[in-house]
Amino acid sequence: MSARFLRRSADGLRIAGSVLPVPFRVAPLCLILAVAVFAATAPRFLSLGNAANIGAQVWVLALLAIGQMFVLATRGFDISVGAVAALSSVCAAMACNAWGLPGLAAGALAGLLCGLVNGALVGTLGLQPVVATLGSLIAVRGLSLLITGDGQVVPLDAAGAVTRLGFEPMPVLPAASWAALVLAVGAALLVGRSLAGRRILMAGSNPEAVALVGVDTRRVQLWAYGLCGLFAGLAGVLMTVRAGSGLPTEGAGMELQAIAAAVIGGTALSGGIASVAAVVTGAAFIQVLLTGLNLQGVSPFVAQIAIGVVIIASGLLETLLRSLPSFPSQSRTRT
Amino acid sequence: MMALTGARPRRFSGRLNPPAAAWVVLLLFCVFALAVPRFASAGNLENLLRVGSILGIAACGQTIVLILGGIEFSFGASAALASVVTVLALPSAGVAGGFAAGAASVLLVGLVNGTLVARFSLPPFLVTLGMLMVAGGGAAVLAGGLPIDAPPSDAFSWPARGRVAGIPVPILAAAASFALLHLLLAHTRAGRLWYLVGANGTAARLSGITVWRSVLAGYLLAGAFCALAAVILTSRVASGQPGLAPNLPFETIAACAVGGIPLAGGQGRAVQTLCGVLVIAMLNNAVVLLNLPVAYQQLMIAAVILGAVILQRAPLLLLLLPVRPARQLEEDRS
Repeated sequence: MSARFLRRSADGLRIAGSVLPVPFRVAPLCLILAVAVFAATAPRFLSLGNAANIGAQVWVLALLAIGQMFVLATRGFDISVGAVAALSSVCAAMACNAWGLPGLAAGALAGLLCGLVNGALVGTLGLQPVVATLGSLIAVRGLSLLITGDGQVVPLDAAGAVTRLGFEPMPVLPAASWAALVLAVGAALLVGRSLAGRRILMAGSNPEAVALVGVDTRRVQLWAYGLCGLFAGLAGVLMTVRAGSGLPTEGAGMELQAIAAAVIGGTALSGGIASVAAVVTGAAFIQVLLTGLNLQGVSPFVAQIAIGVVIIASGLLETLLRSLPSFPSQSRTRT
Repeated sequence: MMALTGARPRRFSGRLNPPAAAWVVLLLFCVFALAVPRFASAGNLENLLRVGSILGIAACGQTIVLILGGIEFSFGASAALASVVTVLALPSAGVAGGFAAGAASVLLVGLVNGTLVARFSLPPFLVTLGMLMVAGGGAAVLAGGLPIDAPPSDAFSWPARGRVAGIPVPILAAAASFALLHLLLAHTRAGRLWYLVGANGTAARLSGITVWRSVLAGYLLAGAFCALAAVILTSRVASGQPGLAPNLPFETIAACAVGGIPLAGGQGRAVQTLCGVLVIAMLNNAVVLLNLPVAYQQLMIAAVILGAVILQRAPLLLLLLPVRPARQLEEDRS
């Protein structure tokens, strides 16, 4: 009985089917608009090389944004993802030097551990997400410095073999991009089709009600932050693969871009609504914006302002869409 | 309901009611005084307060925003913007004019934040993150990405290094800020409205309060506190730096949280913020005196911030200290 109810109520949150819920239309629209504008104004933007470049670059941001999405969907917030990615990048590089290619998995493990610590602080101990993840942001940065001897890059012994994974097209995409794509599909299945994903969305949209039907919201939060850390760790592994070394000080500022991508991708900050496809589209939009402005010779600082404006504009757009009469029924329940 | 009783304004005549964080301050002070050489000397304590005053003044602004149920991430970026604007305006506008221009730029950021949150009902965290990037990017564009030096002068360094009646100006400014914050929160109508709006915005609107005006005033005032902090900070570094104080918003939030102010809104006292600021300031000072490597400094700061917040969440651990949990205090009073 209750399982049936859950399935039906969650159907409206999925983007499968003929109707794309309104908040998830923002990112594709932005992406199409940005591509059109840069195709018209930046001369080399529409080349195959540039498209492949953006397609390969976007995945670090996309993985971070997917992780952030899980946390935002529970009304949480993780500002430590950039630092976690850097620590995971270092761990992956060190383990890879010790045990060969399988050692790269150590990065994902490190990320998962950091995420679970965040989850324990927020979920089990009930700390405010900002304070808990701020604490772990500082601690994780300290750890990265500690294990690298004050922030030195960790070079990979097998740099050639590893970077080939990141750059040499297997059939169409490099192996690393295929792996990231598979992970994104896995995350989409988790959010849209699994009980765990459903609980994460429910815990965000109405924690009291979810607790009343017998779900332990603290455990849901623990795993949402764990997933966020895992994806941050995977992003760190990807950074290592693309750079051919462990980067202990990389990733500062990435957390803001990841949050921006997740928000543009329609993740409701009040929790309860999330779509992996839209979040990846949001990440692609930010990458297109950065690359396009760069090709036009615009200073990166102006690009930073542009992203800030886009973050606020996406909020305004969501408010606007929410005020349309059709929106509430489409987002919360099945129409 | 809990929120409202917690927000009840105190009277001066009432008994002194120290927040739980006061014990953390005391404990940390004793530990550092015993364990850290030179910590308890008068010169060091003055230096500690002088450095901590910037954090304290900005934290006053953060307190108002948190009581309103919001959060303010743009403090650091707007302080950076202010420092760049100040130094750029110095040649044409003079020292006072430069500081005024810098402060105005912070107020402008606060106005935009307040308008977007109050009038367009956008999530505060989204708005202030966006403005963080806009203001930070704006500062970098104006300065061309590199710090610009200010011509040294006595007047320019007065806000950071001057003394009035033997007391450093930043400490006086911080004391005045905390006094003003306490008066506003505990003894004015505006302050009482902030608690109500933060605890239950819908109820506030239904009882006839112009909620947006109260919220806008809160963000503007937060901007004013941040502007004062930015003036002192600019004077101290004597340059316009686009990368100035990136951690200021996080440190102010941490200070408020360590002081025991919940980020959910509707609660918080000036004295709680003061205690939180003292904890962070002592910590920053001690790690410098201990001359630890940066990695250990960061691990220690993280441990104390999380430890102080966890202590307040887990009353069992508080049994170790001679203090009753906050909830019991609430029941005593009612």
